[in-house]
Amino acid sequence: MTALVLDIITTAAILFAVASGLLIILGVLKIVNFAHGGFLTIGGYSGLVVTQLGWNAWLAYPVAAVAGILLGAVIERFIIRPLYDRPLDAILATWGLGIIIGQLITIVFGREIQFVQAPITGATTVIGETYSLYRLFLIAAAAMVAGGIAALMNATRLGLEARAVIMNEQLARGLGINSGHVRFVTFCIGAGLASLAGALITPLSSVDPNMGVPWLVNAFMLVLVSSVSLVSLATAALTLGGAQVLVSTFISPVIGGLTIVVLAALLLRIRPAGFGNG
Amino acid sequence: MADLTTIPETLTRQTSSGRLVPAGSIAGLCIAATIAGPYLLDAYTVNILVRSFLYAAAALTVDVLWGYTGILTFGQAAFFGIGAYAAGITFTYMDFSPQTAVLALVAGLVASAVVAGITGWISFFHGASPLYAAIVTLALPIIFVQVLYSGGTFTGSSSGLVGYNTFDLSVEAWFTICGIGLVLLTTATWFFVNSDFGRVLVAIRENEQRCTYLGINAPRVKILLMVVMAMIASVAGYAYAGYTVVVAPEIGSFVFGTELVMWVALGGRGTLIGPVLGTIAIDVTSAYLSGNLPYVWKLIIGSIFVLVIVVLPQGIVPVLKSGLRRLWSAATGRDAVPGVAVPALSEAPEARRAGAGSDAAALAVADLARSYGSLKVLEGVTFKALGSELLGIIGPNGAGKTTLMRCLSDGYERTGGTVAMFGRMIARTPPQGVVGFGIGRSFQTTSLFETLTVAECLRLARYRLNKTRMLSHAPTLALPASARHVITATGIDRQLAIECRHLSHGMKRALELAMVLALEPSVLLLDEPTAGLTKSERTLIGSILVDLVQREGLCTLIIEHDLDFVREISTRIIVLHQGKILLDGSVAEVVGSELVRTIYAGAAQQRPAP
Repeated sequence: MTALVLDIITTAAILFAVASGLLIILGVLKIVNFAHGGFLTIGGYSGLVVTQLGWNAWLAYPVAAVAGILLGAVIERFIIRPLYDRPLDAILATWGLGIIIGQLITIVFGREIQFVQAPITGATTVIGETYSLYRLFLIAAAAMVAGGIAALMNATRLGLEARAVIMNEQLARGLGINSGHVRFVTFCIGAGLASLAGALITPLSSVDPNMGVPWLVNAFMLVLVSSVSLVSLATAALTLGGAQVLVSTFISPVIGGLTIVVLAALLLRIRPAGFGNG
Repeated sequence: MADLTTIPETLTRQTSSGRLVPAGSIAGLCIAATIAGPYLLDAYTVNILVRSFLYAAAALTVDVLWGYTGILTFGQAAFFGIGAYAAGITFTYMDFSPQTAVLALVAGLVASAVVAGITGWISFFHGASPLYAAIVTLALPIIFVQVLYSGGTFTGSSSGLVGYNTFDLSVEAWFTICGIGLVLLTTATWFFVNSDFGRVLVAIRENEQRCTYLGINAPRVKILLMVVMAMIASVAGYAYAGYTVVVAPEIGSFVFGTELVMWVALGGRGTLIGPVLGTIAIDVTSAYLSGNLPYVWKLIIGSIFVLVIVVLPQGIVPVLKSGLRRLWSAATGRDAVPGVAVPALSEAPEARRAGAGSDAAALAVADLARSYGSLKVLEGVTFKALGSELLGIIGPNGAGKTTLMRCLSDGYERTGGTVAMFGRMIARTPPQGVVGFGIGRSFQTTSLFETLTVAECLRLARYRLNKTRMLSHAPTLALPASARHVITATGIDRQLAIECRHLSHGMKRALELAMVLALEPSVLLLDEPTAGLTKSERTLIGSILVDLVQREGLCTLIIEHDLDFVREISTRIIVLHQGKILLDGSVAEVVGSELVRTIYAGAAQQRPAP
């Protein structure tokens, strides 16, 4: 029972961390970044590089975040910016980017599955149940990501401008907010978060050039039912992630893998605002 | 009205005149090529091309859905897979015979039609965002592949089914059959998308909201289209399974679904020929290159794809086409674009208007409310309107006038109260249904179909009343007298071949009015029909409206800011203020009211004009 509850909480934490970058990009830029899977993969391979260089495993996170931010900056400037007014095309272009990232990684690192060293190993006892320390650490990591975004949005000038752009971009521009700049910074941060999440999840399994795709689909679904709100995203991750854990445990892991996709699609059909208050 | 007498030739668009001959000869040439192909090409290329033809057929269905109708779909892969697996499973477990071959084909068609129907029903509903359909069609192949995995040995799980008995045909025979099939499919689809009904698809892509207010049941059109396209994709998948003697989850996967979309985008969405040629070119090239440079090839395709989406969103074929056209006109000194055949206008037979002969009020609104959360935009709105009444609705900005129009024309909008037309409650009916009750609505900001011609726009408005041709253009366009009066009085009847985006603002407003009138409504809702018009245009529209109301007994509600204009044409005026009816009375009563002047001019008394 304890293990099940912990599974649900840690799964929700992982899903939250993975989806947060997609959420802020959708919120501010109003485009779905299908290269999100590619950024997750970049993060995973950042961890691999750190492992191969023999550096401290904790360094994987800053390296991943920086790699994501830099790549995000280039992509925003040359690919995303011309597509602001064509949201459906942006989905396609970013999906193409995901392919490019996947192929480049295949060429550089090979297509085989590789393993990354975790900064924390071993297990601990929680209420009489032995549980992976790293998974517990991910709860803290997700909380830190959430806290970081919340602080950024609520306590900085950029956050204020970003919130203005989310609510009414035209008006924000009219008030002298450089919405292009806000978009650029947001995309970089979103890409950095995605990459960081990639580094966070790889010690749980392994890295391969297409590791991002299954995550992308789940993250995409979670973000759509959250109507651009961090609180809703947390609710969605907990509810749908919890359902996924329950279905995987009690019915079948194969059906479990579909839980989020199916439930989210049905939820949006019944209630287009999803977990948000629409 | 501004008169656009000189129309540049390039603004007009090709239509039906003598389409049969060129289309037939091109198709004939292509069929000859597919028969000659096996003798001219090496065995490997022939082998690959069969597969490319089948992929191209699937890409064609994506083009109809996405390129023409605007439904971004990743789901066609799943239907291709359903057709393929229907064949693979049937032939593996029941062996191959002519009977099982038919059985497998029918099973694939039925299964894909059912799945597409369900997918469509989930994806397309009143108020669904275009992104939502993309999500559902993205989930579909993912679910399909998981179902295959769960099938265990029955579906062959991740390795699929191999080596069943199949059609005893040579590769050359497959080439000819699939080639001819693709040519026929492309030709038939070409006639379909260029027909009057094809214009409905484009209209849905351009402005679905406007379509529903013209009484076009856009969700149903999309669902039916998805079912038909799914069935076509399933036949292609069936042939694929018969030809390759292998079915694996990859052919129904999300990745294949995105590849189809990529091929369509690269070739040129909404061109049919672009996706077909694009798919064949890319598939053949990748068959040659992926052996030597597997990852680099995918990298190149991905890079070209991103580049095309960003720089050439229309794809490669349209660019080639316009280049060739320019060369042609430079070489011959003639314009390569033939003129447009304009349908002849004719008199529509007098249809029985909704509510004709009914004693009940044309429009009866009781206790209508609309709130967004705690914000009440309309509250307790109650009034009746009769035929032959021209009811002016005035009030300051934010009074809820446009919201009122929305609540009257869309059964899902109001949060409380009832709306009845001729004694029938509109209940929770989407706009396309409310049109059937007899409502016609024009919008505050002109809402048209930018790339359709004037004639096509008017024909869309007749979709509900007249049959729409699926494979050709009707030679005539029947319009009711009122709509014809508007277009002749404003000179639009001479601009029938012009695309709407080239019309002047005044003409657009007039065209929208004509479209609403072509619906033969009994209750007309006009949201600032004269906004942004010149004085003379305004007078013209005003006199047309008064004439309509008096002669045809239309019940008309008109939102206007110009008090003088309202006073001239109205028979009664309702004043809305902060979501409530403040005054409902004759023109003299309302215009003379001190209260109205106070609201309208702000605090006029306290602050005398400078």
